[in-house]
Amino acid sequence: MKTASVFAFRGASTVALIVTSAVSALGFLWPFFVSERQGHPQWLFLIATPFALLLLFISVSNNELDSKSIALLAVLSALIAALRPMGTGAVGIEPMWFVLILSARVFGPSFGFLLGALSMFLSALITGGFGPWLAYQSFAAGWIGLGVALIPRKLHGWRELFALALYGILAAEFFGIAMDLQFWPWALGTDSQLSYLAGAPFASNIAHFITYHFLSSMAWDIPRAIFTATLIVVTGKPVLHTLRRAYTKAAFLTPIEFIERAKEPEATR
Amino acid sequence: MITFSHVSLVYPHSTKTILENLSFQIEEGEMVLVMGETGSGKSSLLRLINGLVPHHTGGILAGDITVDGISTRLVKPGALAHLVGIVGQNPMQGFVTDIVEEELAFSMEALNFPPDVMRKRVEEVLDILGLSAIRHRSIATLSGGEQQRVAIGTALVMHPKVLVLDEPTSALDPIAAEEVLSVLHRLVHDLSVTVIIAEHRLERVIQFVDRIIYIEGDGETSIGSAEEILKTAELVPPIIRLSRALNLNELGTSVREVRRATEDIRVKEYVVAAAPVRHSTPSITVSSVSHAYGSKPALRKVTTTINHGEIVAIMGRNGAGKSTLLHSIVGLHNPDSGEVKVNGVIPTTLKGSARRRAIGYVPQEPSDLLFAQSVGDECAQADRDNELAAGSTWSLLNTLVPQISQSTHPNDLSEGQRLALVLSIVLSGEPDVLVLDEPTRGLDYRAKSLFALALKKYATEGDRPVLLATHDVELVAELADRVLFLAEGEIVADGSTLDVLLSSPAFAPQVAKIMSPKPWLTVSDVVDAIAGTP
Repeated sequence: MKTASVFAFRGASTVALIVTSAVSALGFLWPFFVSERQGHPQWLFLIATPFALLLLFISVSNNELDSKSIALLAVLSALIAALRPMGTGAVGIEPMWFVLILSARVFGPSFGFLLGALSMFLSALITGGFGPWLAYQSFAAGWIGLGVALIPRKLHGWRELFALALYGILAAEFFGIAMDLQFWPWALGTDSQLSYLAGAPFASNIAHFITYHFLSSMAWDIPRAIFTATLIVVTGKPVLHTLRRAYTKAAFLTPIEFIERAKEPEATR
Repeated sequence: MITFSHVSLVYPHSTKTILENLSFQIEEGEMVLVMGETGSGKSSLLRLINGLVPHHTGGILAGDITVDGISTRLVKPGALAHLVGIVGQNPMQGFVTDIVEEELAFSMEALNFPPDVMRKRVEEVLDILGLSAIRHRSIATLSGGEQQRVAIGTALVMHPKVLVLDEPTSALDPIAAEEVLSVLHRLVHDLSVTVIIAEHRLERVIQFVDRIIYIEGDGETSIGSAEEILKTAELVPPIIRLSRALNLNELGTSVREVRRATEDIRVKEYVVAAAPVRHSTPSITVSSVSHAYGSKPALRKVTTTINHGEIVAIMGRNGAGKSTLLHSIVGLHNPDSGEVKVNGVIPTTLKGSARRRAIGYVPQEPSDLLFAQSVGDECAQADRDNELAAGSTWSLLNTLVPQISQSTHPNDLSEGQRLALVLSIVLSGEPDVLVLDEPTRGLDYRAKSLFALALKKYATEGDRPVLLATHDVELVAELADRVLFLAEGEIVADGSTLDVLLSSPAFAPQVAKIMSPKPWLTVSDVVDAIAGTP
């Protein structure tokens, strides 16, 4: 017998993760795949994505979370949600990504997914950033947490920090692209050179998107990437140490053994 | 109600057996004290009762524990939640909501109780614990004793049959501690709740308890009535040491009992040794200092002087302004008005190492000063900061508490060890004055006497003043030369320890209560006086 493990997607909840992630990924990527005849399915995805998120939370919370994982999740997501508005969001400076990435590194990608999705949700409640974009943000942050799995487990010391900082840059850029992608079909109408054109060839739409992205939000993404990577390098060592200590202290997967009697003292044998 | 049969416990990644072959039974409606040195396994024993150990921590448990017929090895801690209520040392850490009533209802809401049941139980608990006057108050504004009573209330709403308390009074002033203990007494006697309590300040609890479980350092455990255990135990409160010193036939556990037995000692006349007159120069001067937090005044025109070589205790209720006064003296803030000077310098003007050399400060939470990842790193850092030879701080620490491993993380130390570490770090800077805020919480008698010795040595060797805020009257009686008594931010009494403690019925140490009106505070005072009189 062992104490409960830190949360990880298993069995049914893995299926739920894959299905809901696929739905929400379509919610981001549909502009490149629909034909003119199908028009603008954004309304469909606008509804489908929050439902996907809700379904995933329900599936996870049914019986997979043990009290220690809940406690960790609560504390860390509260921390992240509180950190997010600290940079006031100006030019993309949100001091939250480094905590998410470092926590996902220590507690595993599954935990990272939940943490990312939940803390986005929570910070929206705090800052009043509640809106149609919320479910997209939640999924994007969740995937950033999940993606920490790409960094090999065996890296340590400076290599680990370097890998995490690199991942931080990619993650910040990913979040920027994802958010633009989500907003792009809604913006600009249909007549500008940057607009989304339903049914237009893939190449032309993607060219439009990339121009749109560079013009509109690179100014946000680059500072966000630099800021996140810097924070990871500067705070990485102590923060990782603290989180790892919490991991040890929480005694995940520690053996529990019940025996009838302790060993009799030598003398009495 | 609770049965331990042949229980031994080994934590994971450890080879040391915490409890060895422990067997006992606790009946319904009994009040049992668990005593032992810090780190001896008191908390582990308490957590075994509700199954947190080993279900939450891992480990090897030998033998069997049953609570109300349920074996803890078969069920998860959650399944015992309705049966066992647990109250921790620091109630603030356990509170979830802001308002007393809401906090009481919280655990029932989590378990989906019907509203009418919740309503009724909240009212019951408010009545039993005398909390109805403060039911709408914000928890943060309550006094320590009130908070602890609310914490007990949150456990009681579940109608537990067993209540487990881990050092419930150690952060409280004597009056608040009485308050909490008398509530527990009532629960045991009126409602037949079984209470198991771990505590270091034995003098506060032994008169209430039926039996004692004594965990000795080497894993040996004995259980018996209070008198049986205290007759031979090493860790005993002053009242028992007094009975032993006077060779009384029966050990008394309450002031009343021992007072009756010592009638003949009090009627005699004794030679009063003249107090040595000391000539000393002022070191810390506090002149009409006032300070407020928002609109709430914490200090009102406090004026006092602390002399070189003097050990001064600051006493008073929780929230009387003790910590604020200390903060002003160490220069954590500039007081709103008035002036503080430490050896002629205003403390807030000092910076860096000059400040470290002028004032040594041990805060209420000693771990606030600890940043490194191990005890060894912490000591090395102190050596570097104070430009000492490598190893000086470590050897100082070793004289206070031996047997700490250099690689231990500071947060894994026991309260006493952590205090010793912080004290050695602060003392290694050889500060000109030493200021301590509530230093003896969670210390057993042995650690406390070592600590007192270290402070006395510091004060006498360099003729330096020591200032400490504390609730621990027994410590003050042993250690302090002078007592400042604060109430509502004003000094209401300032005089020698003897005068101040004897004149206050609440803050008098037990020996003084027993021997009143004789002017004795400690066991050694009594013994010396009797020996000095033919």
